[in-house]
Amino acid sequence: MRSRYSAFVLGNIGYLADTLGPEIIGEFDQIEAESIANDAKWQGLEIRAITGGGVDDETGSVEFISRFRLRGEQRVHHELSNFRRQQGRWVCSGGRVNPKGPPRQVGKVGRNEACPCGSGRKYKKCCGA
Amino acid sequence: MLRRLMERRFHCTVCGKCCYGKLPLTLNDAIANAGRFPLAMFWTAVRQGAKSFEITARLGATATLLNRKKIALQITPVAYLPPLFPCPALSPDGRCAIHADRPLRCRAMPFYPFREESDQVDMLVPRKGWDCDTSANAPVVYRDRKVVHRGDFDRERQGLIDQASIVRAYADSLMANAPNVAMAVEKAARKRHGGHVVLNFTGILPKLSNIDAPSFARKQLPVLSGYADRTAGTSELKEFHEYYGNCATGMKRLLERR
Repeated sequence: MRSRYSAFVLGNIGYLADTLGPEIIGEFDQIEAESIANDAKWQGLEIRAITGGGVDDETGSVEFISRFRLRGEQRVHHELSNFRRQQGRWVCSGGRVNPKGPPRQVGKVGRNEACPCGSGRKYKKCCGA
Repeated sequence: MLRRLMERRFHCTVCGKCCYGKLPLTLNDAIANAGRFPLAMFWTAVRQGAKSFEITARLGATATLLNRKKIALQITPVAYLPPLFPCPALSPDGRCAIHADRPLRCRAMPFYPFREESDQVDMLVPRKGWDCDTSANAPVVYRDRKVVHRGDFDRERQGLIDQASIVRAYADSLMANAPNVAMAVEKAARKRHGGHVVLNFTGILPKLSNIDAPSFARKQLPVLSGYADRTAGTSELKEFHEYYGNCATGMKRLLERR
């Protein structure tokens, strides 16, 4: 992932194309990527979350945000990318732009139940007061 | 009398006045003319309830806006020319230099298969300055909301139907993966009369199995560079100039890499 960001900054679009799996190469407009690489002022890569992708793993995912200015416009690219090992090399196998986080679970505490803060008192006598 | 109201007459006087500005093309015509026209993808938002909503959704794509309203998107390759620029195939004598091989769009004029066949009356009213003959001497071309000589109309419509699945796949993947495109479509949809978005033609190339980016770029680059030069230095043509320039840069870099 970091190497793909670096390739974009360095303008190595060939590397970007070579690290895409066959399942998504049909989404990649090399000419537009060349034109963006020529004009973008890169401001940094922020890694938000990682799953898998270790030495023993065959798949992994990276959630990242890259920031850049393009032709007078501030751009923020937030993506959850999936990677997969193909003949020993990591390739990008797809992703989701502006991914949704996992749904927030909100449990309801009854007034007479033990308070979830662990005080031992009833919720209505403690945090729920 | 009623009969005559249902008829529209039209005869092309070969004045060449309609050969200016942006020209919609089928994908095949666009690719075939990559060495002639500066190409772009032209998206137009059509609101639900508009006459051409259904057919636009069928030939193009649909999208749901942030306010949950559904819109149809007319998506077509275009020869992306400024309004006062003549078609590069228009000869100085006002004739078409590629008349025998001209695009389906030119053949089907003045009809417009992006609209329903029953919704073509407006297209038969010549625009200001055009010399189309719509007098009693001109032949009847449209009767009872049907095109009379329908060969060219049907061929362009069929071309649009045949490319619809590719266009939809292209549009859906951009709407999902390119937030800047989705945002531009939102903005366009808010405009009262058909807001539009101009995107790089090359975005649809990866969806076409029969053409590779370098060979396309070799044909298109000199055309774009030429138009970038011709549109330099005027503020009204800035939008066009930047488009040609940005696309040309991408193509130049791609070709240098190889």
